[in-house]
Amino acid sequence: MTKVVEISPTTRHEGHSKLTLKVDDQGIVERGDWLSITPVRGIEKLAIGKTMEQVPKIASRVCGICPIAHTLASTEAMEASIGCEIPEDAKLLRVILHAANRLHSIALHNILILPDFYIPGTETKFNMFTKEEPARSVMARIARIREIGQTIGAITGGEAIHPSNPRIGGMYQNVSSRAKQKMADLAKEGLVLAHEQMEFMLEVIRNMQNRGFVEVGGKQIPIPKTLGYHNQGVMATSPMYGSSSLDEKPMWDIARWKETRPWDWYMGEVTIDLEDPSYPLGGTTKVGTKANPRMEACNGVPMYDGQPVEVGPRARLSTFKNFDEKGTFAQHIARQMEYPDCCYTILKCLDDLNTSGKVVADNIPLGDGSLGWAANEAPRGTDVHLAKVKDGRVLWYEMLVPTTWNFPTCSRALAGAPWEIAEMVVRAYDPCVSCATHMIVLDEENKIVAQKLMQW
Amino acid sequence: MMIEDPYLGRYVTCVSARSTDKEILKKAQDGGIATALMVYALEQGIIDGTIVAGEGDRPWQSKPAVAMSREDILKAQGTKYNISPQISWLKEATRSYGLDKVGITGVCCQMQAVRKAQLYPINMRDIPGKVAFTVGLFCMENFPYKSMQSIVEDHAAQSLSSVKKMEITKGKFWVYTERGNVATVPLKDTHKYEQPGCHVCLDYVSNLGDISTGSVGSPDGWSTVFIRTKVGNEIWSRAVADGMFETKPIEEVKPGLDLLRKLAKEKIDKNQKTIEERKTFGVNKALRNPYA
Ligand SMILES: Cc1cc2nc3c(=O)[nH]c(=O)nc-3n(C[C@H](O)[C@H](O)[C@H](O)COP(=O)(O)OP(=O)(O)OC[C@H]3O[C@@H](n4cnc5c(N)ncnc54)[C@H](O)[C@@H]3O)c2cc1C
Ligand code: SF4
Ligand SMILES: [Fe+2]
Repeated sequence: MTKVVEISPTTRHEGHSKLTLKVDDQGIVERGDWLSITPVRGIEKLAIGKTMEQVPKIASRVCGICPIAHTLASTEAMEASIGCEIPEDAKLLRVILHAANRLHSIALHNILILPDFYIPGTETKFNMFTKEEPARSVMARIARIREIGQTIGAITGGEAIHPSNPRIGGMYQNVSSRAKQKMADLAKEGLVLAHEQMEFMLEVIRNMQNRGFVEVGGKQIPIPKTLGYHNQGVMATSPMYGSSSLDEKPMWDIARWKETRPWDWYMGEVTIDLEDPSYPLGGTTKVGTKANPRMEACNGVPMYDGQPVEVGPRARLSTFKNFDEKGTFAQHIARQMEYPDCCYTILKCLDDLNTSGKVVADNIPLGDGSLGWAANEAPRGTDVHLAKVKDGRVLWYEMLVPTTWNFPTCSRALAGAPWEIAEMVVRAYDPCVSCATHMIVLDEENKIVAQKLMQW
Repeated sequence: MMIEDPYLGRYVTCVSARSTDKEILKKAQDGGIATALMVYALEQGIIDGTIVAGEGDRPWQSKPAVAMSREDILKAQGTKYNISPQISWLKEATRSYGLDKVGITGVCCQMQAVRKAQLYPINMRDIPGKVAFTVGLFCMENFPYKSMQSIVEDHAAQSLSSVKKMEITKGKFWVYTERGNVATVPLKDTHKYEQPGCHVCLDYVSNLGDISTGSVGSPDGWSTVFIRTKVGNEIWSRAVADGMFETKPIEEVKPGLDLLRKLAKEKIDKNQKTIEERKTFGVNKALRNPYA
């Protein structure tokens, strides 16, 4: 008989989300709903009437993990709307900033997922806070990789979090030749570390994939070979950077996108009738509690060709590099495989960068209200921003961020997994939930104030 | 042993000194201390660049610059009596300029700002550990650019473009031109041009610099130098041992510390009074005491 179990909140990822799961007698998920419960910021509405310079700065604030992706996607959406081409050296600085951000982000995600994994050859899972090996040296390496990424980001971006240097028409300033050399030195060091860290992670992931069981809350849970498999498609616009409507060959098609309501996608009211107090940490939601995913979801549900799609490293690798593995472990593997490319990209761009070249376009039009979009391949997937700018002011603005795409896809991918390892499926998407929130339905007393808020 | 003086701050030693570098002395405001110290620190690898008050777009306009060579540090020589927002480049020095060890020259309030940024780095991520060496200047007051323009062009009746040096000393604002003109304006006429913030400033000798320097207390062409912190002391000792400076004990030069202490006391007491007055200024709305 089908029972409902709920894990709320989910942990070891950015933001607040929950899992409402219908499971069979064996505890296998029949239908899973993974949804955002992070309150909405309303950035898209705040943007209206602001200057095109302001909006990327505001958009960046939606999240402290992905501000680089949002700054770049937003800036380039404005540029796409007004039809502004930026100088080559500005473009190079942006790509360096972007690659540096991805480098640090993969390393950060390693810290979040390693506690799910076993130290190869042992029955012990990783504890990233012990002084014991191998965790100690792995943590030290992760910290240095992140430091390298963040430092390079700070040099090109002005700031590694909420970068100040990108602007409409290019970048505020170029870097000094000293700064260029410093970045090259850091990227060289980072390349060696990234290779080591990738090899290490691949070994850990393959080891896990070959285990039959994983311990959760004192129980041995079987790991299905098809963990995280789904039949949805993948979407990616570039192996590294992204695409925009200004490109000769745009890699994203607005006509294939359609927004739908969580109301139409998630399950209606259910009562929790399965509970496990030993589930870490602090047990699952109490029996008798009511859940209503379609009303509680703070995320939109975007479709591409009428279906949810997966975005992220696996989507990029399967679109551009013929990577053909599926599921949770394939997502982890694809992400590690992106490590070295971050450093190679930085080094390549530095080679081409002329530190005396101009970085602001000569002509920055004010816009006639045309629609422009830019997709940025954020660490966790395609981040599409769309804008209409007229006379320097934003008329309309929309953000389709990676985790928004992944919410419904991942929900489908939960089916077939023992519910106790559903969070592992979620974590493989490296979710950033704050970014992915879209509309608000709760007031201070947690009462529903707006049923079917979005109707069209 | 640390000396503590209510008006001159904490310091290890105070000397009268000047640079031994002829090129530096040629364009120095006083003993070329600020410039020689930064050049030395750069050449010794103590800093990899420094923030100086460089040349702005208009004559004698100052504009902060990140100098990464001896040549660029020397370009900023001479006192420019208008505001140069040095700290606005502090973060950028560690960003697009790529510095890891930043030097900073600036007036007393800018030394305060640096320490504040280090202590409480809001919008100054990664800065605290990157401030390697600070040289503070003595400072009685400063002017907005347009005020300085009025003093020089209108009161002193000189064209700014031909000015060679400006100086405030002996109760007057002095203007020297390339053609040898020397014009003075009594300070009672320049007071009204000062930036208002200077009237609540309680530091005359850059108490928070690693080293601080100015003209008052030493003979013409020489500087008074306070060595204040461990970093300052180390750099100063090495620089003197390497023959960068001629020094004389401050007790042996005229007019010496007494004059400096007198001026410091005058500034601080006067400004303390302004702070007190501001407390009751306005209707039920006292102006904020910046030190409270
Ligand atoms: C606004 C102002 C007021 C001053 N008032 C006094 C005073 O009342 N009594 C006194 O004894 N000394 C005062 N000084 C200090 C004095 O004028 C000399 O700057 C100091 O002695 C250094 O001379 P030097 O030969 O060692 O340096 P130099 O080799 O001439 O180098 C000058 C240094 O000063 C810096 N500088 C120049 N203009 C500015 C500015 N506007 N803001 C910040 N930094 C600047 C440059 O970056 C450079 O590093 C004042 C300086 C300033 C800038
Ligand atoms: S008098 Fe004080 S506030 Fe004014 S410029 Fe000098 S140090 Fe700064
Ligand atoms: Fe995010």
